[in-house]
Formats: sequence, C-alpha cells, structure tokens
Amino acid sequence: MTSSVSDNKFHFSFWRLTLFYVVIFITFTVLLSRLVTLQVIEGETWTDQAVENFTRAISVPASRGIIYDRNGYILARNDASYNVVIVPANLPDDDADIQRIYREVSAITGVPVNSGTLEEAKLFAECVEGPGITQLVELGDSLAPYSAVKVKCNVSQDVARLVSERTMDWPGVSIEIEPMRDYPTGSLTANVVGFLGPIPANLEDEYRNLGFVPRRDKVGYSGVELSLQDVLSGRNGRRVVQVDVAGKEIRNIQAPVSAIPGSNIVLTIDTRLQAAAEAALLGEINFWNTYFGEVRISSGVVIAINPQNGEILAMVTYPTYENNRMARFIPAYYYEQLSQDPRHPLLNNAISGEYPPGSVFKLSTANGALNEGVVTINQVIDTPGQLVLTEKFSPSDPGLERPFVDWIYDDNPDGFGQLTFKYCIAYSSNVCFYKLGGGTASLAQGNREEIPEGLNIQPLYEYARALGYAQPSGIELPGEGNGLIPSPQWKRINKGENWSTGDTYIASVGQGYVLATPLQVIMSGATMANDGKLMQPTIVHEIIDENSKVVEKWFNSEDFTITNAPTDLDVSYQISPSIPNLKWDITETPVIKDYDCEGGYCEETGEYKTVDPFVVRSIQEGMRLAVTDSQGTLYKIFSDFPVAVAGKTGTAEYCDDVALANNRCQYGAWPTHSWTLAYAPYEDPEVVIAAFLYNGGEGASVAGPVVGLVMDAYFEIKSIDIARGVEGN
Amino acid sequence: MIRGLSWRHFDFWLLGAVVLATAFGVAMIRSAIAGNEELLLTVSRQTQFALIGLGVIFLIAAIDYKYWLALYRPMYLVMMILLIMIYISAQPQFGAARWFQVAGLFIQPTELAKIVIILILARYFEKTQNEPKDLRWLISSIVWVGGLTMWILLQPNLSNVIVIGVIWAMMVWQNGVQVRTIVILAFLAALIGLTAILIPEPYSPLEEYQRARVFTFLFPDPNASYGATYNVLQALVAIGSGGFWGQGYGHGTQTQLRFLKVRHTDFIFSAVSEEFGMIGGVVIVVVLVFIILRCLRAARLARDVSGSMIAYGVAVLIFFQGAVNIGVNVNLIPVSGLPLPFISYGGSGLLSLMLGIGLVESVVLRHRQLEF
Repeated sequence: MTSSVSDNKFHFSFWRLTLFYVVIFITFTVLLSRLVTLQVIEGETWTDQAVENFTRAISVPASRGIIYDRNGYILARNDASYNVVIVPANLPDDDADIQRIYREVSAITGVPVNSGTLEEAKLFAECVEGPGITQLVELGDSLAPYSAVKVKCNVSQDVARLVSERTMDWPGVSIEIEPMRDYPTGSLTANVVGFLGPIPANLEDEYRNLGFVPRRDKVGYSGVELSLQDVLSGRNGRRVVQVDVAGKEIRNIQAPVSAIPGSNIVLTIDTRLQAAAEAALLGEINFWNTYFGEVRISSGVVIAINPQNGEILAMVTYPTYENNRMARFIPAYYYEQLSQDPRHPLLNNAISGEYPPGSVFKLSTANGALNEGVVTINQVIDTPGQLVLTEKFSPSDPGLERPFVDWIYDDNPDGFGQLTFKYCIAYSSNVCFYKLGGGTASLAQGNREEIPEGLNIQPLYEYARALGYAQPSGIELPGEGNGLIPSPQWKRINKGENWSTGDTYIASVGQGYVLATPLQVIMSGATMANDGKLMQPTIVHEIIDENSKVVEKWFNSEDFTITNAPTDLDVSYQISPSIPNLKWDITETPVIKDYDCEGGYCEETGEYKTVDPFVVRSIQEGMRLAVTDSQGTLYKIFSDFPVAVAGKTGTAEYCDDVALANNRCQYGAWPTHSWTLAYAPYEDPEVVIAAFLYNGGEGASVAGPVVGLVMDAYFEIKSIDIARGVEGN
Repeated sequence: MIRGLSWRHFDFWLLGAVVLATAFGVAMIRSAIAGNEELLLTVSRQTQFALIGLGVIFLIAAIDYKYWLALYRPMYLVMMILLIMIYISAQPQFGAARWFQVAGLFIQPTELAKIVIILILARYFEKTQNEPKDLRWLISSIVWVGGLTMWILLQPNLSNVIVIGVIWAMMVWQNGVQVRTIVILAFLAALIGLTAILIPEPYSPLEEYQRARVFTFLFPDPNASYGATYNVLQALVAIGSGGFWGQGYGHGTQTQLRFLKVRHTDFIFSAVSEEFGMIGGVVIVVVLVFIILRCLRAARLARDVSGSMIAYGVAVLIFFQGAVNIGVNVNLIPVSGLPLPFISYGGSGLLSLMLGIGLVESVVLRHRQLEF
C-alpha cells in the first residue's frame, strides 16, 4: 500500500522545477527593482507631478473702484449681472430627474433642452446663445464637472429670483453673480469715464504678471477707466487650493491672499453742469441743423474749468457713445459703427480733436504784442476792412499782392476804423491783429510805419506755448492731441515752402496752420483769467482707497503711471488729495524764449522772459470790453448777465478733408468753426467756459449762446448749493 | 472522508499569509474608496467574500481532492454551460460581458473556470503519467483546456485566456514536455500573436481595445496625457510619489483625490505603493512569494501526481496574475485587467483563489496516506 502510494507520487524534475523558481525570482526582482527606480530614484519627480496634479492657483477677482463726480454722484459702478449656471457634478444621478430639470430650466430661460451637437457646442464662446442645455452641460462635464457651466447669461432679476427659489428642486442649478460695469450717466460722461474691455491679446503676459486673468478680468479701454486703470483695478487675491480629479476644491494649501479692491475715484466733473452743458450744446446744434434743414453742425465740445485750480467741471463732446452698451462685451457692429464715423465719437474731442482756434488765439498774439512793445496800450491802430500785403517768401522776393480781409468787411467794408489795443480784443479785429502779428512794413498800401516790426512767428509761438498751446496739457485722460503752432522750419519741412509775412498774419489770428484742442483753448482763457497763472488741468478730484481714506497720489502725465510720491517733477503732479497744481505763472516764471527780430527775421538771444502783469490786466480788460461795449462780440449774450463776464469769441475758417470732399473750400468763403471762451466773475474768476461747434459759423452767434447757457447753469447750480448749505464749486 | 481527518499537516503558514493579504486588501480597498459613494459597499462586500472564502478553504481542505477529480465530467460540463451562458446572455459591461448578475452581485464564472481547468489538467496528467509525452499527449491536453477556454476567448477576455495558457504551459513543462516541442510551439504562438496584432480590422481576431492596449504600450503618444496613457501615468505618479515610507494610510493624494483610476481593483498595487511606499510594495511581493512558495511546497509533498499538479497550478496562477498585475502597475507590460491576487476588489476572483488555496490545503493535508 505504502509503496503503491509512493509510486504514484509526482517526481518533479529538478531542473524543470528549479527553472520555475528562477523565473519567480527573476520576475519579482525585476518588479522590485522597477519599484525602487520609481519610488526612490525618481521619487521626487513623481512627487512633483503628484503635487502639480492637485495644486491649483485660483485668482480671486478684486472689485473695481467706483467713479464718482465731485458731488458723490456715481458715474461708474459695479452692477450684478445674473447668470443661470449648472454644475454638472451636482446634478442628480437619475437621468429622468436631470431631464425634468433641463425642461424646467428651459421653460424659464428659453434656452432649448437640445440644440445642435456636442461638437457644434464646442465652437460657441461662453454666453453666446446656440447650444442646448444638454450639450452645454455635457461639454462642461467632460472638461471640469465641478465648474459652473453658464447656461444663460445676464438674465433679469426676476428670472434670477425664480431660479434661486427652486434650488432645492434643482440640485446643480444656481445663479452666478458676475460683476458688470454700470454707468448711470451713460453717454453723458462716456468721453470722460470711458469703458472696459477684455485684456488685449498682446498685453496678456504683462497683465498676467500683475495678477490679472485674461478672458475674465476687464481693463479700461478709454477715459479714466483707462488712464486710472492701475488705481481702479485693485489687486486680485490668490488662493492655492488642493483639488481632486474632478476639480473640486478640498482645502487651501497656502494662506490665501485676499483681493485688494480698487480705489474709488472722485472726478472734478459736476454732473449737473455736465448735463446742462450737453443740453445747451445739443440744443444749439439741433437749432441750427433744423434751421438749415441739413446736418450743418456735425460735432461740438463744451468745457468748463475752474481757472484757479485747473479742475474740469464739465467736459461734453458730441457725438459720443453709450458706454453701457460695452458693459458685458463690446458689440462688434456697434464698435464698427463708432470707429467708422468720421466725427470720431469714440474719441474725446475735447482733448483729442485739433481744430483751428481762430480768434480765441488772438489772446496769444495780444500777450506777445503788448509785452514785446510792438504796440503800446493807448496806441491807435488803423483798422480798415482789409489789408493788402505784398507777400514775400524771402527778403529779395519782389512779392505778390494779397488781400487780408477783416470779418467785419461784409457788413462794413470800412472796417472798425481807429482802435486801441483793448478794443482790438473786444471787437476781435482781424486787421488789428494782422498788424500786431506781422507788422505793417510789407503792406502794399497804407502807413507802413505804423507798426514797423510785428511780433513775428517765433515769438508768437513762445507766447502761445506759454498759454498752453502746442503741447499736451498732461490731463489724466488718454489720447490728448498736441495742437500745432507753425514755425518757418515746420513749414519748410512739412510744406516745402518758405515762411511768408502772410503766414504770420494768418497765424496771428489763429488760422492757417494753427491747430489747438478745445482744452488748450480753454487753458489759454483760464491762464488769462487767473492773472497769468497756468494751472494743470485735471479731471481727478481725489482718490479714495479701500479703507475710505483719501490717499496721496501723483500722476505722471508722460507714461500715465500713478505713484504714491512724485516721480519726475516736470511731468508728475499730485492728483489726490485735490490741490491746485501751478504749471507756471507767465508773469513770474520765465518760460518765454527771448528773440531779437528785425525785418521779420528773428534770432534767439538765449534768454527767457516773463509777461508784465500789466499786459495780462490789459488783455483781461479787453475781454471784459467784449461784453460791456455795445460793439463787443459778447455784448448780446452777456451784457445783461448778473455776474461780470469777460470773454473772447472765435470764428475759425477751416478746410479739412470733410469740407474738401463737400467742395466747400471756396476762396473767401471757407466754412468756419464757431468758438467762444468766457469767464466769470470778472473780478475773481471761478469758472471758464469754452464752446466749440464744428462748422458752427460765427463764434458769437453759435458758440456764444451755448457758453451763455452753461454760464447761467453754473451760477444757478452755485446758488442752489449755497442755498442748501453745500460749499459751491 | 472527513471522519478521522487529521489537521496535523494543515498549512497554517499558508492560511496566515492568505488571511494577511486579504485583510490588507480589505483595508486598502477601504482607503481606495476615497469618498466615491458608488464604491462604498465594496469594503463590506469584500469582507463578506473573504469570510465566506475562509470557510471555503476549510471546507475544501476537509474534502479529499480526489472526489473533485472523480467528478470531472459533470464539473467540466457545468463549467462549459456557464461559460456559454455568459457568452450568450450576459449584458455588456465595460465593453465585455464577463459577469452574471445574481442578487445584485456580479458573478464571474471565468475566475472559477481557471480552478476547474487546473483540476481537469491535474486529472489528465495523472491519467497520462505513464504515457509518452509526445505531440498527441500535448494536443489532447490542449483539447481539454480549449473546450472551456474558447468560450472565454469569445467573451472576449484575452487576459484570462493567457493566464490559462500559462497554467497549461507550466504544467506541460513540469510533466516533461520536450524542449524541441516547446520551441516549435513557441514559434507558432509568436507567429499567431504577431499576425493577430498586425492584421488590420476587421479580419483581426483581436478586439479593437486589445489592439489599442498593445499599441499604446508599444508606442505611447507623449501628448495624450488625457488619452489612453492617462491611467498608467497616474499609476506611476502614485507609485513614485509614495517614496520609501509612503504618504500614509488614507493620505495618498493620487488615491484620495481620485487621480488614480480603478484604484480598488487593477491599480490597487499603485494605491498601496503610494500610501505605504516601497515598504508596502515589498511586503506585498514578499507575502505573494511566500504564498507561492507554500503552494509549491504542497506540490512537492503531494502524495500523487494530481495533488502535485493542483498545488503547482494554483502556485502558477497566483504567480502569474500577481506578476502581471504588478507589471502593469509599474508600466512594464500593457494594461491587462488582471487583479492582484487576494488584494484587489472582486468577490469571484477572491473566492476562486480561496477555493484554490482550499485545494492546496486538501493536498497538503493528505500528503501521507497513513499516519502512524
């Protein structure tokens, strides 16, 4: 029995069994060595990858600062926009339940349950209508099931409330509140406030380094939204969290850095005056356009400024745009329409538009002529209806006779007759200023000895510059124009022609090549009103940080940066808290290059000079006479005004692309822009108002009434404020 | 048969190792749930199966394995019917029909089939022990195995066909197949395998997913991090980030944050390696090797050919499945879907292995006919 058992026993072949042991040994040795490689040698690399798997940095959006007007009226704020969202991972398990939810959500939002295919849904950007709920959720589920899928954006508050009430019945469906910029004053202040847009692709890296999230965060595109972007935007917070494979947040890995909300900004604008100015401008434009039965006046600007501190009280441009339409996204058709409009509604024409200033520019000529002794204060100047000049392009040029007509010529060919300096300003006599600017030496007829040496172009340039022309003002608004005061050199380079006496004549009355922005025009007026002190024009009253504290901020007008301390003293000025920034006082600061002129040719002496305060006073008196003298250009508008007003009008001939295209540049009958500049009270000016109407015609009769209405509104608002016990502007 | 049974030779070392591995598996499955509600029941289910399996070990050990061999005909027939049924009637799950759903549980006859095939082969080699080990002998054994295996191949379940093929080959090897025959067969197998892979659809005998697996292993796409290589990559990250000591039980980020997929079954070794580090991996390997060696000890002690072959077959089964599973986890071989013996979640697999261990115990209990 025992033997038979042992006979049946299996005898393993030694080498065959040993081979199996060897195989086992080798196999597990290989596996274990692989384990050592992965865990010990490559361990760190794999650990890094594991950390990368579960680490996610989340940017916490900072709320953008609010923009107020000087009285605390909100010009830009953050409104809540409601989106209906579905978090795929939070939907119920049961398909029937999901279908019920989809149907009910569809009924409320109007988004179809099914529309298109999943592939088509991938082509749609967020918030763009097209794909059905099923497709949107399916797509979101495959990408990040714990991230909210926007089913319908910007629903009404009613819909948002309905959805919120049903959250118990609709697991996974919720309302997402997205901040959206809201501009209560809309187009009224759009040119100043500006609008927001997505971070441009070429600046993505730059903004990302500053903690912004492209495609989520928006940045300023124009107005103070752009120029004060750094202050308004605040700083995004940052959380580093652990997430699971579905993207669900588990916990904070690092201490979260909370977002710093953007600072609030108080502008110098008074919305009430802004509204009044807009109404006055639009009323005037509509009146004349209706009167002529065509769109005669296509655009216009009104600015009001406090000459003592440079604060802009109102800055209205027409046409402008509705910045609320850009709040969610910039509609392509609307943007296209705006950018192709020849009137440039997207630009703030108050600072970007460059126009011939016409007679308002005579303030520069007057300053120079009296200060340089071209004319004395009581000298009587003969001002016929027109002058005939022998125009020479070089000293040896025999010259051609060319008439220079005064604006009064059509009504009275004899002109103003005998005028003293102040009356030249009050009546705005072109002939007088031709003589002051270019002298009488080259006249074909008349007394050549009257003013043997005029101011000449180079000194005129200096005096114009001293009043703020031919340079950007440095205001905290983007897109400022330089303006232009021509020089002989400029003409040779740009026109290929020598400077002539006639050019000086034309430039003396602010025409020809002279270009200025409305802001420069009002600055020249403000400087005269403020006894020669040119204040830095500013749109920012103060900046209030997240702790409701007014912070000290300086603005560098060259690179548009905002700093906590002055950077470059030449271009950096304090914008908050509000203080008057003196750029220079022409009666004290030597900013005017001295020239030695003879026979129309000038050479620098290398010295700088100031303007005699007497000159400034005389010009102020001339501007006052424009109101008080019955022949003054502003007599009709301001003679009855309860407050003493002084001012200057301008009717600037122009011939730009638009006029050329309409064949309106006829000799002697060029179209004209209408300007008026006025300030009040005369004794202690607190407001300067300028109006410009493109193709408006005569300054006094078109721009004048606009300034009159705004002046009226200014003192009306002031009296209301005083009555309410609020400190006036 | 049970009366007068002496438990003196019962291999408690083997039982201990199996219990240790299974308990560790249950603990690891508990960690691998990682908050997934659908997996919540797996721990209690696996525990139930483990306890039942423990009973099965003792029950099967108590019964002389010779009785099973005597019942080889009905056993073979019932197994074949089960496999045919699963081929015909089962609904597709995860791309392949491999389960019977009975009372909410998935029963996988294929797992049982592997034990049955070990028994069938054991009987065959005992019967033919004195016959020449020629081609006829070899082909007969293939026919026996093939009768059951073809239905598994049709499921299709290539991994288990390979497991069965390896068991068969290793048994044939120990029973003295000639080296020349092996070379011829290996050449043929390689030829068939290559053509299967290279022949394009729809003529290929391989399913698309099987070809895809082979291809992703051979030519991984470096850009396809969320594609087919995702699971394997996440497994490597899990293992690698475990380091020497591991991140601690329940603290492996890959496992707990569910970056590691099928972490309670196919990739449980990665979960272990992440949470218990290299120490955990080595312990698993050591326990598995210990179980295999104890089974081989039983094979050497067995009183007859069939006993040796049963114990040997079970050893090969555990070795091959374990090695392949770990090999997949450390990305040395393509994804196969074979579980890690005793550790991976899966009732049928665990029960079948327990059954196998019971048979080994039955062999070792009776390795001497008479006790004095």
